[in-house]
Amino acid sequence: MNADCAAPVAAASLADAVFAELATALVRLAETGEETVVDLKSLPFSPADLEALAARLGTGEVSCELEVAGRSEVRETSYSGIWWIRHIGGDGSAVVEEVVVARVPEILISHPDDVAFAARRMREAVEQTPTGETTAADEEDMSRG
Amino acid sequence: MAEKMTLGDRLAEHGVSRRAFVKYASWLGSLMALTPATSKAMAAELAKAKRQSVIWLSFQECTGCTEAITRSNGPTLEDLIFDFISLDYHHTLQAVSGEAIEEARHAAMKENKGKYVVIVDGSVPLKDGGIYSTTAGHSNYDTLIETAKDAFAIISVGTCAAYGGIPKANPNPTGAVSIGDIIKDKPVINIPGCPPIPEAMTGTVAYLLAFGKVPELDHLGRPKAFFGENIHDRCYRRPFYERGQFAKAFDDEGARNGWCLYEVGCKGPITYNACATMKWNGGVSFPIQSGHGCLGCSEPDFWDKGGFYVPLSGSIGPTAKLVGGAALAGAVAGVAAAAVARHRKSSLNKG
Repeated sequence: MNADCAAPVAAASLADAVFAELATALVRLAETGEETVVDLKSLPFSPADLEALAARLGTGEVSCELEVAGRSEVRETSYSGIWWIRHIGGDGSAVVEEVVVARVPEILISHPDDVAFAARRMREAVEQTPTGETTAADEEDMSRG
Repeated sequence: MAEKMTLGDRLAEHGVSRRAFVKYASWLGSLMALTPATSKAMAAELAKAKRQSVIWLSFQECTGCTEAITRSNGPTLEDLIFDFISLDYHHTLQAVSGEAIEEARHAAMKENKGKYVVIVDGSVPLKDGGIYSTTAGHSNYDTLIETAKDAFAIISVGTCAAYGGIPKANPNPTGAVSIGDIIKDKPVINIPGCPPIPEAMTGTVAYLLAFGKVPELDHLGRPKAFFGENIHDRCYRRPFYERGQFAKAFDDEGARNGWCLYEVGCKGPITYNACATMKWNGGVSFPIQSGHGCLGCSEPDFWDKGGFYVPLSGSIGPTAKLVGGAALAGAVAGVAAAAVARHRKSSLNKG
């Protein structure tokens, strides 16, 4: 069976169109700070289209891997402010694939509530640290005078 | 049971950050075609929400809907929904608990009065006093009326609950009806399909949870986000239809070449569902991609529409009259059925 029979659109044309859209979005980010998300899954991209877009965007300096409710990959492209994000599903395939135009993608930022929760945990950890007991390291420091 | 902690705090206690909500919302936003701003709002609202009390009633059904949702493509992002809800009662999964779980249902109803969601799979038999399907000594009808009374909303999952489904097929020996035929004073959301796409079920629950309101529905009570598009309009075989290239049998050259399955009975042109875009088993395939026509399982009375292998032109009423003649003219068929689909979609959007 011939399963690959999408409409006869040139592989590069959709990638070029999205590339141009991202260029406009990047100008918006630079001038107004407005962020943009392009959901690649909602567009009729073929694997060749995706490869063409990825090739045009290139690779930047930052590459992150997240483990939160499954694996995610966040990669900066060669254009600062344009990020390629993939969230991986249970079967290893991308359940979300998007290009985010932002200074930092939201998923990388620590949420204020998480920071507050972490601060409480850390304070508790400090309070539970034994005090007045001399550790081996302390004795070594003292012996050095 | 009633929850005091927010979902954000709850996940944090398990070492999961708010990033999980950002990720979940962007996934759901992609599935439901939400705007980035709405997805962002959903992430924030989900983190602040309390776990949703859910009571799941199983009536005249085959358990396929429960199988579909519990075996969705986990155990990662897609499974987060099970952290977002408190499944306080499930007829089938908790059957062995007997009286204890019936007490749990009553306790959940009391503690979450006006807030809990009832999910129903299966139709309700009304003939002969409803004796054809009972649980814990009560007819499905009585259980539904009692449980729905203080619910926030009802979700009918599967075509049996949504439209009567296979139990209602001719000659409907048990007098089966849908949930919407009985419940008239609450929002009833239909997620039809045999079974429904798991993401349509979990996505609708997450939407209710995040925004506290029913998503936009079509004229058959289905969320437009998942049922707003026609299988045929989004089918990858559509170009063959437009060119008049049809498989005439499942073993002919047309079938081997992946041509349109319209003439071997595909009901895609009259079926609204997300199978062609979301697909099944984590996006692996859907019936048409696997070589079989669409059965139209998310439409009312799909079992009684003249046969799965009979072309639409020979099976049902007004659509058949319009499409029938055109189908004989090869490529013209594409124009005719596309017009029917567009008309239906236009009516749907207006409705």
